[in-house]
Amino acid sequence: MGGPARLVVDGVSELATPIEALWQILSNRLSDLEQRYSRYLDDSLVSMINRRAGTRAFTEVDTETAALLDLAGQLWQESGGLFDITSGPLRRAFNFQNGGAVSPEHLDAARALIGWERIEWQDNGLRLPVTGMEIDLGGLVKEYAADCAAQLMREAGVKHGLIELAGDVAAIGTQSSGTPWLVGIRDPKQDSSILTVHLTDSAMATSGNYARVIKHEGRAYGHLLDPRSGLPVEGPTSVTVIDTRCLTAGAVSTVACLKPEGDAEQWLNQAGLPWLIINTDNAIGGPIADAALH
Amino acid sequence: MAATKPGAAIALAPPSQLIRRLSQSLLVLPAYQAPIALADAPPAFTEVGLRYTRYSEDSLDSDKVIFGSRDRYDIDVTQLWIEVPVGASWSVALDVQNDYQTGASPWFIGAQVDGQPGVIMSGASIQDNRVEVGVTTRYFWADGNAGFAISHSDEDDYEALSLAFDASWNTADDARTWTTSFSSSSDTVNPTQGVIPVFIEEEELDTQSGYFGVSQILSRTAVARVGINYTLSEGYLTDPYKLRDQRPDRHERVALSAGYRRFLIDADASLQIDYRYYADSWGTDSHTLELGWAQNFPQSLLTPYLRYYSQREADFFSVIADFGQPYFADDYRLSSYGAVTVGARWAVTLGDWVLELEAERYMTDASWGLYDGDAAPALVDFWRGTVGIVWRFD
Repeated sequence: MGGPARLVVDGVSELATPIEALWQILSNRLSDLEQRYSRYLDDSLVSMINRRAGTRAFTEVDTETAALLDLAGQLWQESGGLFDITSGPLRRAFNFQNGGAVSPEHLDAARALIGWERIEWQDNGLRLPVTGMEIDLGGLVKEYAADCAAQLMREAGVKHGLIELAGDVAAIGTQSSGTPWLVGIRDPKQDSSILTVHLTDSAMATSGNYARVIKHEGRAYGHLLDPRSGLPVEGPTSVTVIDTRCLTAGAVSTVACLKPEGDAEQWLNQAGLPWLIINTDNAIGGPIADAALH
Repeated sequence: MAATKPGAAIALAPPSQLIRRLSQSLLVLPAYQAPIALADAPPAFTEVGLRYTRYSEDSLDSDKVIFGSRDRYDIDVTQLWIEVPVGASWSVALDVQNDYQTGASPWFIGAQVDGQPGVIMSGASIQDNRVEVGVTTRYFWADGNAGFAISHSDEDDYEALSLAFDASWNTADDARTWTTSFSSSSDTVNPTQGVIPVFIEEEELDTQSGYFGVSQILSRTAVARVGINYTLSEGYLTDPYKLRDQRPDRHERVALSAGYRRFLIDADASLQIDYRYYADSWGTDSHTLELGWAQNFPQSLLTPYLRYYSQREADFFSVIADFGQPYFADDYRLSSYGAVTVGARWAVTLGDWVLELEAERYMTDASWGLYDGDAAPALVDFWRGTVGIVWRFD
């Protein structure tokens, strides 16, 4: 999934399934998700779809993949086109390794290869019509994996558990002492916590745009790009959202990072979930921060 | 349940339109099939609690007493309880309470030399010990829970056996909870012959009661509830320790209640408003309004509160009992009066332990009420203090 994984079960003795069997089940599920959705594995389903771009072959997808693609489509619509899982080629146009500069010809060429609206659909399958187009479900799958792990743990009888996958968190119940799980929201500038959130039976996802990897017209930007213009977004540095599901929390926080700061706050309020924003001027705002600072 | 701070739970509100639309796609996924938050899981831990309360009535003013001790009741209440989860869906609780009561109470109201009503108190101080034991079993399912309780209360002059059933269930989005309960009690009165002469040997009374209510989450920070309660008592309802007391053998009571809770994020506190209207077949009705402010601190919750109560006198009440009527009583508890209660609760969490402290001052005055009526000289003021400790463990 591209990041460290931490799974905690508190109160092992109460489980219906022996703990070793549970780790195996969880490990299998996470590997399975990686196998199917990783861009970096040649024989994953996503890689197969991408390899077939520009050919006439439709790739059939199962119910799970269809649901995730459905969500991606909804997000594309709700975000006015900002969230687009086909925007991979655009990233490559910005040569991050070489100081993140981009040439206009590369930008135009890249924009010809992106656009969710270009995907062609057939009953159970999809096709990318132009060679070089690609889809990337990595962002959504990471949070979906946390929810899957949480569900498996609950089914095994876990009443107190915590899952952390590359910065996204899902909490099951409280800690066995009865106190909520204490999870820190990271300060993107330093290796410390801005504040600690208390989670009980809920999930927290953070999206960020703080690594200054793009230099464009004299300014430094984060790595997030607006697929409509091809240019870096001028959005918040980091957004954290809490919901019962990690996937919806992550979807909301990801879209928020793609919007300009004022629009991001409007989007977050529309979602109706507790949120925290760190703006480019390092100001911290949102209901989570308000609740904690008092 | 969602993100919580110590002592304050912010329930995640029903999903916004946006989240509902996004969630449509996810309905087929197994990861999201079962209810995410098991709204009604049995307690995950065992709880043991011990609580002590001291209730102390103010002495009567000397100008209100014709005869007898000015000191009134003092009651020491000790409660012990234990609640244990059983299997995945059940819990069992045992409650034991001991009340130790000493003091004197009004025997009847007479006229003083100047014509003012005055209290003749029961002679020497009484001492009475009551023990109550109750057992409750509770069953939990995904959308609710139901409990069944039996309890028995025993003291020298009174015995009661009661059964109660309650159930609550949540709607699919957890935003609304319906609650209902029924109880039935069978009591035997066996007044003690002694300081005050009594004129009955043994009598019985039965009480049936039912409640129906609903609570609704209004937003991420607000909850409201309404409820209705009906109670019927039949049997010997007269107070055997009052010289001039003759009450009907049937008493019907209805109460309508409403409550509102609003969490204020900036203040990290909850505003609590409760209102209750009561009316009965003896001619009494009353209003109760309570305001509370539950303030969060890092390890504790402090709730100061203020309550106002106003009652109309029962049809057969008069300050000095009127023998000419079929029913009569001079019991101050059936008079017109207003009462103000000021109090505070403080709950401190220390790891697995919770320490609870509560103090309350209650004051009555006939002129504070909304209703007209003569002032009963025996209206009481009291202090109440409580200290308790609760231990939760796996």
